[in-house]
Amino acid sequence: MNRWSLPDLGIGVGLRTVHFGHILSRRPAVDWFEVLSENFMDTGGRPLWVLDQVAERYPVALHGVSMSIGGTDPLDREYLRKLKALAARTRAHWVSDHLCWTGVAGRNVHDLLPMPYTEEALRHTAARVRQVSEILERPLVLENPSSYVEFAASTMSEWEFLSRLAEEADCGLLLDVNNVYVSSFNHAFDPNVYVDNVPADRVVQYHVAGHTHKGSHILDSHSDHAVAEVWELFRRSCRRTGNVATLYEWDEDIPDFEVLHAEALKARAYRDEQPAPERMARGA
Amino acid sequence: MALELPLGRVQRWMQDVVVHPGPVDEAIAAAAGQLPPERLPEVVLPSRSLAPSERVGIYQGMYLLRMEEALESDYPALKRFLGPRGFRALVRDYVASFPSRSYTLNRLGDHLPEFVLRAGGLRHRAFGHDLARLELALTQVFDEAETPPIRPEAVAAVPEDQWPSARLRPIAAFRLLALRHPVNAYLETLRDKRRRRPRVHRKDGWVVVFRRDYSVYRLELSRAAHGLLSELAAGRPLGAAVTAAVRQHGRRAASETALYRWFRQWMASGMFRAVDLGLEGLEPSANRL
Repeated sequence: MNRWSLPDLGIGVGLRTVHFGHILSRRPAVDWFEVLSENFMDTGGRPLWVLDQVAERYPVALHGVSMSIGGTDPLDREYLRKLKALAARTRAHWVSDHLCWTGVAGRNVHDLLPMPYTEEALRHTAARVRQVSEILERPLVLENPSSYVEFAASTMSEWEFLSRLAEEADCGLLLDVNNVYVSSFNHAFDPNVYVDNVPADRVVQYHVAGHTHKGSHILDSHSDHAVAEVWELFRRSCRRTGNVATLYEWDEDIPDFEVLHAEALKARAYRDEQPAPERMARGA
Repeated sequence: MALELPLGRVQRWMQDVVVHPGPVDEAIAAAAGQLPPERLPEVVLPSRSLAPSERVGIYQGMYLLRMEEALESDYPALKRFLGPRGFRALVRDYVASFPSRSYTLNRLGDHLPEFVLRAGGLRHRAFGHDLARLELALTQVFDEAETPPIRPEAVAAVPEDQWPSARLRPIAAFRLLALRHPVNAYLETLRDKRRRRPRVHRKDGWVVVFRRDYSVYRLELSRAAHGLLSELAAGRPLGAAVTAAVRQHGRRAASETALYRWFRQWMASGMFRAVDLGLEGLEPSANRL
Protein backbone atom coordinates (compact mmCIF):
# COMPACT_ATOMS: atom_id res chain seq x y z
CA MET A 1 0.00 0.00 0.00
CA ASN A 2 1.22 3.48 -0.79
CA ARG A 3 1.82 5.97 2.00
CA TRP A 4 -1.37 7.92 1.32
CA SER A 5 -3.54 4.80 1.23
CA LEU A 6 -4.69 5.77 -2.24
CA PRO A 7 -6.66 2.78 -3.50
CA ASP A 8 -5.64 0.14 -5.98
CA LEU A 9 -8.29 0.92 -8.58
CA GLY A 10 -7.53 -2.25 -10.52
CA ILE A 11 -6.92 -2.29 -14.28
CA GLY A 12 -8.11 0.67 -16.29
CA VAL A 13 -7.86 2.28 -19.69
CA GLY A 14 -7.76 5.84 -20.96
CA LEU A 15 -11.05 7.53 -21.81
CA ARG A 16 -10.81 8.33 -25.53
CA THR A 17 -13.29 10.01 -27.87
CA VAL A 18 -13.44 7.08 -30.27
CA HIS A 19 -14.79 4.88 -27.48
CA PHE A 20 -17.42 7.26 -26.10
CA GLY A 21 -20.31 5.53 -27.85
CA HIS A 22 -19.17 2.04 -26.83
CA ILE A 23 -18.66 3.00 -23.20
CA LEU A 24 -22.03 4.70 -22.84
CA SER A 25 -24.00 2.01 -24.62
CA ARG A 26 -22.21 -1.14 -23.40
CA ARG A 27 -21.01 -0.02 -19.97
CA PRO A 28 -17.96 -2.30 -20.20
CA ALA A 29 -16.65 -3.96 -17.05
CA VAL A 30 -13.58 -1.76 -16.75
CA ASP A 31 -12.23 -1.12 -13.26
CA TRP A 32 -11.50 2.56 -13.83
CA PHE A 33 -10.77 5.26 -16.41
CA GLU A 34 -7.88 7.67 -16.72
CA VAL A 35 -8.97 11.04 -18.10
CA LEU A 36 -6.71 13.46 -20.00
CA SER A 37 -7.40 16.60 -18.00
CA GLU A 38 -6.81 19.16 -20.75
CA ASN A 39 -9.37 17.51 -23.04
CA PHE A 40 -12.16 18.36 -20.63
CA MET A 41 -11.15 21.60 -18.94
CA ASP A 42 -12.40 23.99 -21.63
CA THR A 43 -15.42 22.33 -23.10
CA GLY A 44 -19.05 22.47 -22.14
CA GLY A 45 -20.06 20.14 -24.94
CA ARG A 46 -20.36 16.41 -25.47
CA PRO A 47 -16.93 15.45 -24.06
CA LEU A 48 -17.81 16.92 -20.66
CA TRP A 49 -21.27 15.37 -20.74
CA VAL A 50 -19.72 11.96 -21.49
CA LEU A 51 -17.16 12.45 -18.73
CA ASP A 52 -19.95 13.19 -16.26
CA GLN A 53 -21.66 9.91 -17.22
CA VAL A 54 -18.41 7.98 -16.91
CA ALA A 55 -17.51 9.53 -13.56
CA GLU A 56 -20.97 8.55 -12.26
CA ARG A 57 -20.31 4.89 -12.99
CA TYR A 58 -16.56 4.37 -12.77
CA PRO A 59 -13.65 5.51 -10.61
CA VAL A 60 -11.61 8.18 -12.37
CA ALA A 61 -8.08 9.61 -12.11
CA LEU A 62 -6.94 12.75 -13.94
CA HIS A 63 -3.78 12.74 -16.02
CA GLY A 64 -2.38 15.95 -17.49
CA VAL A 65 0.18 16.93 -20.09
CA SER A 66 0.47 20.70 -19.68
CA MET A 67 1.39 21.47 -16.09
CA SER A 68 5.03 22.02 -17.08
CA ILE A 69 6.16 21.24 -13.57
CA GLY A 70 9.82 21.54 -14.57
CA GLY A 71 9.33 24.71 -16.58
CA THR A 72 10.83 28.06 -15.69
CA ASP A 73 7.73 30.13 -16.48
CA PRO A 74 5.49 30.85 -13.49
CA LEU A 75 2.90 28.18 -12.75
CA ASP A 76 -0.34 28.78 -14.62
CA ARG A 77 -2.80 29.54 -11.80
CA GLU A 78 -5.81 29.55 -14.10
CA TYR A 79 -4.89 26.10 -15.36
CA LEU A 80 -4.53 24.82 -11.81
CA ARG A 81 -7.86 26.36 -10.79
CA LYS A 82 -9.62 24.58 -13.65
CA LEU A 83 -7.76 21.35 -12.92
CA LYS A 84 -8.85 21.44 -9.32
CA ALA A 85 -12.45 22.08 -10.35
CA LEU A 86 -12.37 19.15 -12.79
CA ALA A 87 -10.94 16.88 -10.10
CA ALA A 88 -13.77 17.87 -7.78
CA ARG A 89 -16.40 17.44 -10.49
CA THR A 90 -15.22 13.91 -11.36
CA ARG A 91 -14.32 12.93 -7.78
CA ALA A 92 -10.90 11.98 -9.16
CA HIS A 93 -8.85 9.70 -6.93
CA TRP A 94 -5.68 11.57 -7.84
CA VAL A 95 -4.22 14.06 -10.28
CA SER A 96 -1.05 13.27 -12.20
CA ASP A 97 1.24 14.92 -14.72
CA HIS A 98 4.76 14.40 -16.04
CA LEU A 99 8.25 15.20 -14.85
CA CYS A 100 9.01 17.53 -17.74
CA TRP A 101 8.53 21.03 -19.08
CA THR A 102 6.27 21.93 -21.99
CA GLY A 103 7.34 25.43 -22.96
CA VAL A 104 8.82 28.73 -21.83
CA ALA A 105 8.36 32.44 -22.53
CA GLY A 106 4.59 32.00 -22.59
CA ARG A 107 4.60 29.32 -25.26
CA ASN A 108 3.46 25.73 -25.10
CA VAL A 109 5.02 23.30 -27.57
CA HIS A 110 2.73 20.52 -26.30
CA ASP A 111 5.52 18.02 -25.84
CA LEU A 112 6.97 16.45 -22.72
CA LEU A 113 10.42 17.99 -22.92
CA PRO A 114 13.32 16.55 -20.90
CA MET A 115 14.97 18.06 -17.85
CA PRO A 116 18.65 18.12 -16.96
CA TYR A 117 18.93 16.19 -13.70
CA THR A 118 20.84 18.73 -11.62
CA GLU A 119 20.60 20.07 -8.07
CA GLU A 120 19.26 23.34 -9.49
CA ALA A 121 16.52 21.56 -11.41
CA LEU A 122 15.68 19.44 -8.38
CA ARG A 123 15.27 22.46 -6.07
CA HIS A 124 13.28 24.31 -8.70
CA THR A 125 10.93 21.42 -9.45
CA ALA A 126 10.43 20.39 -5.83
CA ALA A 127 9.33 23.92 -4.92
CA ARG A 128 6.79 23.89 -7.74
CA VAL A 129 5.47 20.46 -6.84
CA ARG A 130 4.88 21.64 -3.28
CA GLN A 131 3.05 24.70 -4.59
CA VAL A 132 0.84 22.63 -6.87
CA SER A 133 0.01 20.12 -4.15
CA GLU A 134 -0.98 22.99 -1.90
CA ILE A 135 -3.23 24.51 -4.55
CA LEU A 136 -4.82 21.18 -5.45
CA GLU A 137 -5.07 20.26 -1.76
CA ARG A 138 -3.79 16.77 -2.52
CA PRO A 139 -0.38 15.26 -3.29
CA LEU A 140 0.53 15.68 -6.94
CA VAL A 141 1.42 12.41 -8.68
CA LEU A 142 4.29 12.62 -11.18
CA GLU A 143 5.07 10.30 -14.05
CA ASN A 144 8.57 9.44 -15.23
CA PRO A 145 8.87 10.63 -18.84
CA SER A 146 10.30 8.88 -21.85
CA SER A 147 13.09 10.93 -23.39
CA TYR A 148 15.40 11.14 -26.37
CA VAL A 149 17.94 13.64 -25.04
CA GLU A 150 20.42 13.35 -22.17
CA PHE A 151 22.01 16.47 -20.77
CA ALA A 152 25.74 16.56 -20.12
CA ALA A 153 25.12 18.71 -17.04
CA SER A 154 23.07 15.99 -15.28
CA THR A 155 24.67 14.97 -12.01
CA MET A 156 22.28 12.13 -11.16
CA SER A 157 20.26 9.47 -12.90
CA GLU A 158 16.57 9.98 -13.63
CA TRP A 159 15.51 7.52 -10.94
CA GLU A 160 17.67 9.29 -8.38
CA PHE A 161 16.18 12.63 -9.42
CA LEU A 162 12.65 11.27 -9.30
CA SER A 163 13.20 9.58 -5.93
CA ARG A 164 14.72 12.68 -4.34
CA LEU A 165 12.01 14.85 -5.84
CA ALA A 166 9.30 12.58 -4.46
CA GLU A 167 10.85 12.69 -0.99
CA GLU A 168 11.60 16.42 -0.94
CA ALA A 169 8.27 17.50 -2.40
CA ASP A 170 6.25 14.67 -0.85
CA CYS A 171 4.57 13.65 -4.07
CA GLY A 172 3.29 10.38 -5.48
CA LEU A 173 4.69 8.55 -8.48
CA LEU A 174 3.07 7.21 -11.60
CA LEU A 175 5.58 4.67 -12.80
CA ASP A 176 5.39 4.18 -16.55
CA VAL A 177 7.28 0.97 -17.18
CA ASN A 178 7.18 1.50 -20.94
CA ASN A 179 8.82 4.89 -20.48
CA VAL A 180 11.49 3.27 -18.34
CA TYR A 181 12.10 0.74 -21.11
CA VAL A 182 12.12 3.38 -23.88
CA SER A 183 14.55 5.63 -22.03
CA SER A 184 16.74 2.69 -21.01
CA PHE A 185 17.26 1.89 -24.69
CA ASN A 186 17.71 5.51 -25.73
CA HIS A 187 20.17 6.28 -22.91
CA ALA A 188 21.71 2.82 -22.44
CA PHE A 189 20.93 2.13 -18.80
CA ASP A 190 19.59 -0.96 -17.07
CA PRO A 191 15.80 -0.62 -16.68
CA ASN A 192 15.79 -3.08 -13.79
CA VAL A 193 17.99 -0.75 -11.77
CA TYR A 194 15.46 2.03 -12.42
CA VAL A 195 12.39 0.13 -11.20
CA ASP A 196 14.34 -1.34 -8.28
CA ASN A 197 15.26 2.09 -7.00
CA VAL A 198 12.13 4.23 -7.07
CA PRO A 199 10.48 4.51 -3.66
CA ALA A 200 7.89 1.73 -3.76
CA ASP A 201 5.57 3.26 -1.21
CA ARG A 202 5.14 6.37 -3.36
CA VAL A 203 4.02 4.52 -6.47
CA VAL A 204 0.25 5.00 -6.73
CA GLN A 205 -0.23 4.10 -10.39
CA TYR A 206 1.36 2.24 -13.30
CA HIS A 207 1.30 2.92 -17.00
CA VAL A 208 1.92 0.16 -19.48
CA ALA A 209 2.04 0.90 -23.22
CA GLY A 210 3.43 -0.01 -26.61
CA HIS A 211 6.18 1.82 -28.45
CA THR A 212 7.81 2.10 -31.87
CA HIS A 213 11.34 0.84 -32.39
CA LYS A 214 13.13 3.02 -34.93
CA GLY A 215 16.42 1.14 -34.83
CA SER A 216 18.54 4.03 -33.59
CA HIS A 217 16.06 4.91 -30.86
CA ILE A 218 12.63 3.99 -29.49
CA LEU A 219 9.67 6.34 -29.73
CA ASP A 220 7.07 6.35 -26.98
CA SER A 221 4.21 6.17 -29.46
CA HIS A 222 1.46 4.43 -27.41
CA SER A 223 0.50 2.79 -30.68
CA ASP A 224 0.73 -0.92 -30.12
CA HIS A 225 0.71 -3.89 -27.81
CA ALA A 226 3.35 -3.81 -25.08
CA VAL A 227 6.45 -5.92 -25.70
CA ALA A 228 7.35 -8.79 -23.37
CA GLU A 229 10.25 -6.83 -21.84
CA VAL A 230 7.86 -4.09 -20.70
CA TRP A 231 5.53 -6.62 -19.09
CA GLU A 232 8.53 -8.15 -17.34
CA LEU A 233 9.46 -4.76 -15.95
CA PHE A 234 5.90 -4.39 -14.75
CA ARG A 235 6.08 -7.81 -13.06
CA ARG A 236 9.37 -6.91 -11.40
CA SER A 237 8.10 -3.60 -10.13
CA CYS A 238 4.78 -5.01 -8.88
CA ARG A 239 6.75 -7.36 -6.64
CA ARG A 240 8.07 -4.28 -4.85
CA THR A 241 4.98 -2.10 -4.81
CA GLY A 242 2.19 -4.59 -4.45
CA ASN A 243 -0.95 -4.21 -6.53
CA VAL A 244 -1.26 -0.63 -7.67
CA ALA A 245 -3.80 0.96 -10.03
CA THR A 246 -2.72 0.00 -13.55
CA LEU A 247 -3.54 1.72 -16.80
CA TYR A 248 -2.92 0.66 -20.37
CA GLU A 249 -2.19 3.61 -22.69
CA TRP A 250 -3.05 3.46 -26.38
CA ASP A 251 -3.23 6.82 -28.14
CA GLU A 252 -2.24 6.28 -31.78
CA ASP A 253 -4.14 3.99 -34.15
CA ILE A 254 -6.51 3.30 -31.28
CA PRO A 255 -8.12 -0.12 -31.67
CA ASP A 256 -11.66 -1.19 -30.81
CA PHE A 257 -12.44 -0.97 -27.15
CA GLU A 258 -12.42 -4.76 -26.67
CA VAL A 259 -8.88 -5.01 -28.08
CA LEU A 260 -7.66 -2.24 -25.82
CA HIS A 261 -9.34 -3.71 -22.77
CA ALA A 262 -7.97 -7.18 -23.51
CA GLU A 263 -4.46 -5.74 -23.71
CA ALA A 264 -4.95 -3.98 -20.38
CA LEU A 265 -6.25 -7.14 -18.75
CA LYS A 266 -2.95 -8.89 -19.49
CA ALA A 267 -1.74 -6.95 -16.45
CA ARG A 268 -3.84 -9.25 -14.29
CA ALA A 269 -1.36 -12.11 -14.54
CA TYR A 270 1.57 -9.94 -13.45
CA ARG A 271 -0.27 -8.11 -10.70
CA ASP A 272 -1.50 -11.31 -9.10
CA GLU A 273 2.02 -12.64 -8.82
CA GLN A 274 3.18 -10.03 -6.38
CA PRO A 275 3.59 -10.95 -2.70
CA ALA A 276 1.03 -9.96 -0.09
CA PRO A 277 1.44 -6.34 1.08
CA GLU A 278 2.26 -7.28 4.68
CA ARG A 279 5.41 -9.03 3.46
CA MET A 280 6.68 -5.96 1.68
CA ALA A 281 9.12 -3.65 3.35
CA ARG A 282 7.61 -0.17 3.48
CA GLY A 283 9.58 2.20 1.31
CA ALA A 284 11.83 -0.58 0.04
CA MET B 1 33.17 18.57 -20.24
CA ALA B 2 29.65 19.75 -19.46
CA LEU B 3 28.61 23.32 -20.05
CA GLU B 4 26.45 24.37 -17.13
CA LEU B 5 23.72 26.69 -18.27
CA PRO B 6 20.95 27.99 -16.04
CA LEU B 7 17.80 25.89 -16.38
CA GLY B 8 15.84 28.73 -17.98
CA ARG B 9 18.46 29.23 -20.66
CA VAL B 10 18.63 25.54 -21.50
CA GLN B 11 14.87 25.51 -21.91
CA ARG B 12 14.82 28.67 -24.00
CA TRP B 13 17.50 27.24 -26.28
CA MET B 14 15.78 23.91 -26.66
CA GLN B 15 12.42 25.52 -27.38
CA ASP B 16 13.95 27.78 -30.03
CA VAL B 17 15.40 24.70 -31.73
CA VAL B 18 12.24 22.60 -31.41
CA VAL B 19 9.90 25.18 -32.94
CA HIS B 20 12.22 26.12 -35.81
CA PRO B 21 10.55 25.11 -39.10
CA GLY B 22 13.74 24.24 -41.01
CA PRO B 23 16.17 21.30 -40.81
CA VAL B 24 17.60 20.68 -37.35
CA ASP B 25 21.08 21.94 -38.23
CA GLU B 26 19.55 25.24 -39.35
CA ALA B 27 17.50 25.31 -36.16
CA ILE B 28 20.60 24.82 -34.01
CA ALA B 29 22.44 27.50 -35.96
CA ALA B 30 19.52 29.91 -35.59
CA ALA B 31 19.61 29.44 -31.81
CA ALA B 32 23.32 30.33 -31.64
CA GLY B 33 22.49 33.30 -29.42
CA GLN B 34 21.47 30.86 -26.68
CA LEU B 35 24.09 28.22 -27.43
CA PRO B 36 26.88 28.32 -30.05
CA PRO B 37 26.42 25.20 -32.24
CA GLU B 38 29.98 24.04 -31.69
CA ARG B 39 29.27 23.78 -27.96
CA LEU B 40 26.21 21.54 -28.40
CA PRO B 41 28.09 18.35 -27.33
CA GLU B 42 28.82 20.08 -24.02
CA VAL B 43 25.07 20.35 -23.38
CA VAL B 44 23.53 17.29 -25.07
CA LEU B 45 25.25 13.92 -24.98
CA PRO B 46 25.39 11.62 -28.00
CA SER B 47 23.74 8.21 -27.75
CA ARG B 48 25.15 4.92 -29.08
CA SER B 49 23.73 5.70 -32.48
CA LEU B 50 22.67 9.35 -32.57
CA ALA B 51 24.63 12.59 -32.52
CA PRO B 52 23.44 15.34 -30.14
CA SER B 53 21.79 17.24 -32.99
CA GLU B 54 19.92 14.11 -34.12
CA ARG B 55 18.62 13.56 -30.60
CA VAL B 56 17.28 17.11 -30.36
CA GLY B 57 16.00 16.64 -33.90
CA ILE B 58 13.57 13.94 -32.69
CA TYR B 59 11.70 16.58 -30.69
CA GLN B 60 12.01 19.14 -33.45
CA GLY B 61 10.66 16.77 -36.08
CA MET B 62 7.59 15.99 -34.01
CA TYR B 63 6.62 19.61 -33.28
CA LEU B 64 5.12 20.56 -36.63
CA LEU B 65 3.52 17.13 -37.04
CA ARG B 66 1.75 17.64 -33.73
CA MET B 67 0.60 21.13 -34.68
CA GLU B 68 -0.63 19.87 -38.04
CA GLU B 69 -2.51 17.01 -36.42
CA ALA B 70 -4.20 19.40 -34.00
CA LEU B 71 -5.22 21.86 -36.71
CA GLU B 72 -6.32 19.12 -39.08
CA SER B 73 -8.78 17.84 -36.50
CA ASP B 74 -10.42 21.29 -36.43
CA TYR B 75 -10.02 22.14 -40.13
CA PRO B 76 -10.43 18.90 -42.13
CA ALA B 77 -12.20 20.65 -45.02
CA LEU B 78 -9.56 23.36 -45.24
CA LYS B 79 -6.90 20.66 -45.44
CA ARG B 80 -8.79 18.99 -48.23
CA PHE B 81 -9.20 22.31 -50.01
CA LEU B 82 -5.50 23.20 -49.80
CA GLY B 83 -4.16 19.67 -50.26
CA PRO B 84 -1.69 18.01 -47.83
CA ARG B 85 1.32 20.06 -48.95
CA GLY B 86 -0.54 23.34 -48.99
CA PHE B 87 -2.01 22.68 -45.56
CA ARG B 88 1.37 21.70 -44.12
CA ALA B 89 2.90 24.91 -45.42
CA LEU B 90 0.02 26.92 -43.97
CA VAL B 91 0.43 25.24 -40.57
CA ARG B 92 4.17 25.92 -40.59
CA ASP B 93 3.64 29.63 -41.26
CA TYR B 94 0.63 29.90 -38.97
CA VAL B 95 2.22 28.47 -35.83
CA ALA B 96 5.22 30.73 -36.38
CA SER B 97 2.83 33.71 -36.15
CA PHE B 98 0.32 32.26 -33.68
CA PRO B 99 2.11 29.68 -31.52
CA SER B 100 0.14 27.96 -28.79
CA ARG B 101 0.13 29.96 -25.59
CA SER B 102 -2.41 27.81 -23.84
CA TYR B 103 -2.43 24.55 -21.93
CA THR B 104 -4.90 23.23 -24.49
CA LEU B 105 -4.57 22.66 -28.23
CA ASN B 106 -8.32 23.16 -28.60
CA ARG B 107 -7.96 26.85 -29.34
CA LEU B 108 -4.74 26.67 -31.39
CA GLY B 109 -6.69 27.40 -34.57
CA ASP B 110 -8.64 30.41 -33.35
CA HIS B 111 -6.70 32.82 -35.58
CA LEU B 112 -6.49 30.59 -38.63
CA PRO B 113 -9.34 32.21 -40.63
CA GLU B 114 -7.77 35.68 -40.40
CA PHE B 115 -4.37 34.16 -41.18
CA VAL B 116 -5.68 32.43 -44.31
CA LEU B 117 -6.95 35.77 -45.56
CA ARG B 118 -3.49 37.30 -45.50
CA ALA B 119 -1.37 34.22 -46.16
CA GLY B 120 0.88 34.51 -49.19
CA GLY B 121 0.83 31.99 -52.04
CA LEU B 122 -2.68 30.69 -51.48
CA ARG B 123 -5.02 30.26 -54.42
CA HIS B 124 -8.69 31.11 -53.82
CA ARG B 125 -7.76 32.72 -50.54
CA ALA B 126 -11.21 34.24 -49.96
CA PHE B 127 -12.84 30.83 -50.35
CA GLY B 128 -10.36 29.32 -47.88
CA HIS B 129 -11.10 32.16 -45.47
CA ASP B 130 -14.84 31.45 -45.55
CA LEU B 131 -14.24 27.72 -45.19
CA ALA B 132 -12.01 28.30 -42.17
CA ARG B 133 -14.60 30.65 -40.62
CA LEU B 134 -17.25 27.97 -40.90
CA GLU B 135 -15.01 25.27 -39.44
CA LEU B 136 -13.98 27.56 -36.58
CA ALA B 137 -17.65 28.20 -35.81
CA LEU B 138 -18.20 24.43 -35.66
CA THR B 139 -15.43 23.91 -33.11
CA GLN B 140 -16.59 26.87 -31.03
CA VAL B 141 -20.14 25.59 -30.95
CA PHE B 142 -18.90 22.09 -30.12
CA ASP B 143 -17.07 23.35 -27.03
CA GLU B 144 -19.42 26.11 -25.84
CA ALA B 145 -21.06 25.95 -22.44
CA GLU B 146 -24.31 24.03 -22.32
CA THR B 147 -27.31 26.35 -21.95
CA PRO B 148 -30.60 24.42 -22.10
CA PRO B 149 -33.07 25.69 -24.73
CA ILE B 150 -36.30 27.30 -23.65
CA ARG B 151 -39.09 24.81 -22.99
CA PRO B 152 -42.15 24.87 -25.30
CA GLU B 153 -44.46 25.54 -22.37
CA ALA B 154 -42.45 28.66 -21.49
CA VAL B 155 -42.88 29.90 -25.05
CA ALA B 156 -46.58 29.11 -24.96
CA ALA B 157 -46.93 31.05 -21.72
CA VAL B 158 -45.84 34.36 -23.29
CA PRO B 159 -48.94 36.57 -23.66
CA GLU B 160 -49.62 37.40 -27.31
CA ASP B 161 -49.45 41.15 -26.75
CA GLN B 162 -46.00 40.78 -25.17
CA TRP B 163 -44.33 39.24 -28.20
CA PRO B 164 -43.47 42.52 -30.02
CA SER B 165 -41.39 43.68 -27.04
CA ALA B 166 -39.98 40.24 -26.23
CA ARG B 167 -36.25 39.64 -26.67
CA LEU B 168 -35.02 36.18 -27.53
CA ARG B 169 -31.75 35.10 -26.01
CA PRO B 170 -29.84 32.55 -28.07
CA ILE B 171 -28.11 29.58 -26.50
CA ALA B 172 -24.34 29.91 -26.01
CA ALA B 173 -23.61 27.27 -28.66
CA PHE B 174 -24.90 29.47 -31.50
CA ARG B 175 -23.03 31.19 -34.33
CA LEU B 176 -24.34 33.07 -37.36
CA LEU B 177 -22.28 33.48 -40.48
CA ALA B 178 -22.67 35.50 -43.65
CA LEU B 179 -20.46 33.92 -46.29
CA ARG B 180 -19.39 34.91 -49.78
CA HIS B 181 -18.72 31.39 -51.03
CA PRO B 182 -20.65 28.09 -50.93
CA VAL B 183 -18.43 26.60 -48.25
CA ASN B 184 -21.27 24.82 -46.48
CA ALA B 185 -21.72 22.72 -49.61
CA TYR B 186 -17.97 22.17 -49.71
CA LEU B 187 -18.03 20.91 -46.13
CA GLU B 188 -20.66 18.37 -47.14
CA THR B 189 -18.20 16.84 -49.59
CA LEU B 190 -16.04 15.60 -46.70
CA ARG B 191 -18.51 12.73 -46.51
CA ASP B 192 -18.33 12.11 -50.25
CA LYS B 193 -16.46 8.87 -50.71
CA ARG B 194 -15.86 9.66 -54.37
CA ARG B 195 -13.94 12.76 -53.22
CA ARG B 196 -15.86 15.07 -55.55
CA ARG B 197 -15.23 18.72 -54.89
CA PRO B 198 -17.70 21.45 -55.78
CA ARG B 199 -16.52 24.25 -58.04
CA VAL B 200 -14.84 27.10 -56.19
CA HIS B 201 -16.87 30.14 -57.04
CA ARG B 202 -18.38 33.24 -55.58
CA LYS B 203 -21.89 32.87 -54.16
CA ASP B 204 -23.37 34.52 -51.10
CA GLY B 205 -24.67 32.20 -48.40
CA TRP B 206 -25.89 32.35 -44.82
CA VAL B 207 -25.55 29.69 -42.20
CA VAL B 208 -26.45 29.24 -38.55
CA VAL B 209 -24.39 26.76 -36.53
CA PHE B 210 -25.89 25.57 -33.27
CA ARG B 211 -25.85 22.66 -30.86
CA ARG B 212 -28.75 20.55 -29.72
CA ASP B 213 -28.48 17.56 -27.38
CA TYR B 214 -24.68 17.78 -27.71
CA SER B 215 -24.75 17.44 -31.50
CA VAL B 216 -23.65 20.30 -33.76
CA TYR B 217 -25.93 21.32 -36.64
CA ARG B 218 -25.55 23.60 -39.66
CA LEU B 219 -28.62 25.18 -41.18
CA GLU B 220 -28.54 27.20 -44.38
CA LEU B 221 -30.61 30.38 -44.24
CA SER B 222 -31.96 32.86 -46.73
CA ARG B 223 -30.53 36.35 -46.59
CA ALA B 224 -33.76 37.62 -45.00
CA ALA B 225 -33.83 34.85 -42.39
CA HIS B 226 -30.20 35.54 -41.54
CA GLY B 227 -31.00 39.24 -41.19
CA LEU B 228 -33.85 38.58 -38.80
CA LEU B 229 -31.94 36.01 -36.78
CA SER B 230 -29.02 38.43 -36.50
CA GLU B 231 -31.29 41.15 -35.15
CA LEU B 232 -32.79 38.76 -32.62
CA ALA B 233 -29.41 37.39 -31.55
CA ALA B 234 -28.22 40.97 -31.04
CA GLY B 235 -30.99 41.47 -28.50
CA ARG B 236 -33.43 43.55 -30.52
CA PRO B 237 -37.10 43.09 -29.50
CA LEU B 238 -39.01 40.79 -31.82
CA GLY B 239 -41.29 43.51 -33.20
CA ALA B 240 -38.42 45.87 -33.96
CA ALA B 241 -36.35 43.03 -35.44
CA VAL B 242 -39.14 42.10 -37.84
CA THR B 243 -39.65 45.75 -38.81
CA ALA B 244 -35.90 46.17 -39.42
CA ALA B 245 -35.77 42.98 -41.49
CA VAL B 246 -38.73 44.10 -43.61
CA ARG B 247 -37.23 47.56 -44.09
CA GLN B 248 -33.86 46.10 -45.05
CA HIS B 249 -35.14 43.64 -47.60
CA GLY B 250 -37.98 45.69 -49.08
CA ARG B 251 -39.89 43.74 -51.69
CA ARG B 252 -37.79 40.68 -50.99
CA ALA B 253 -38.77 40.70 -47.35
CA ALA B 254 -40.28 37.56 -45.93
CA SER B 255 -44.03 37.06 -45.88
CA GLU B 256 -45.85 36.70 -42.59
CA THR B 257 -46.14 32.95 -43.31
CA ALA B 258 -42.40 32.62 -43.84
CA LEU B 259 -41.68 34.55 -40.64
CA TYR B 260 -43.94 32.26 -38.69
CA ARG B 261 -42.34 29.18 -40.24
CA TRP B 262 -38.83 30.36 -39.42
CA PHE B 263 -39.71 31.32 -35.93
CA ARG B 264 -41.29 27.95 -35.28
CA GLN B 265 -38.26 26.13 -36.77
CA TRP B 266 -35.77 28.14 -34.74
CA MET B 267 -37.68 27.54 -31.54
CA ALA B 268 -38.08 23.83 -32.27
CA SER B 269 -34.36 23.58 -33.06
CA GLY B 270 -33.52 24.85 -29.60
CA MET B 271 -31.63 27.96 -30.73
CA PHE B 272 -33.00 30.12 -27.91
CA ARG B 273 -32.62 29.72 -24.22
CA ALA B 274 -34.95 32.43 -22.92
CA VAL B 275 -37.58 35.01 -23.77
CA ASP B 276 -37.11 38.25 -21.89
CA LEU B 277 -40.25 40.31 -21.58
CA GLY B 278 -40.13 44.09 -21.50
CA LEU B 279 -36.60 44.44 -20.16
CA GLU B 280 -34.99 47.66 -21.29
CA GLY B 281 -31.25 47.94 -21.63
CA LEU B 282 -30.68 44.25 -22.07
CA GLU B 283 -27.16 43.64 -23.24
CA PRO B 284 -27.03 42.36 -26.78
CA SER B 285 -25.71 38.87 -27.27
CA ALA B 286 -22.06 38.60 -28.21
CA ASN B 287 -22.68 35.57 -30.38
CA ARG B 288 -23.14 37.28 -33.70
CA LEU B 289 -20.39 36.61 -36.23
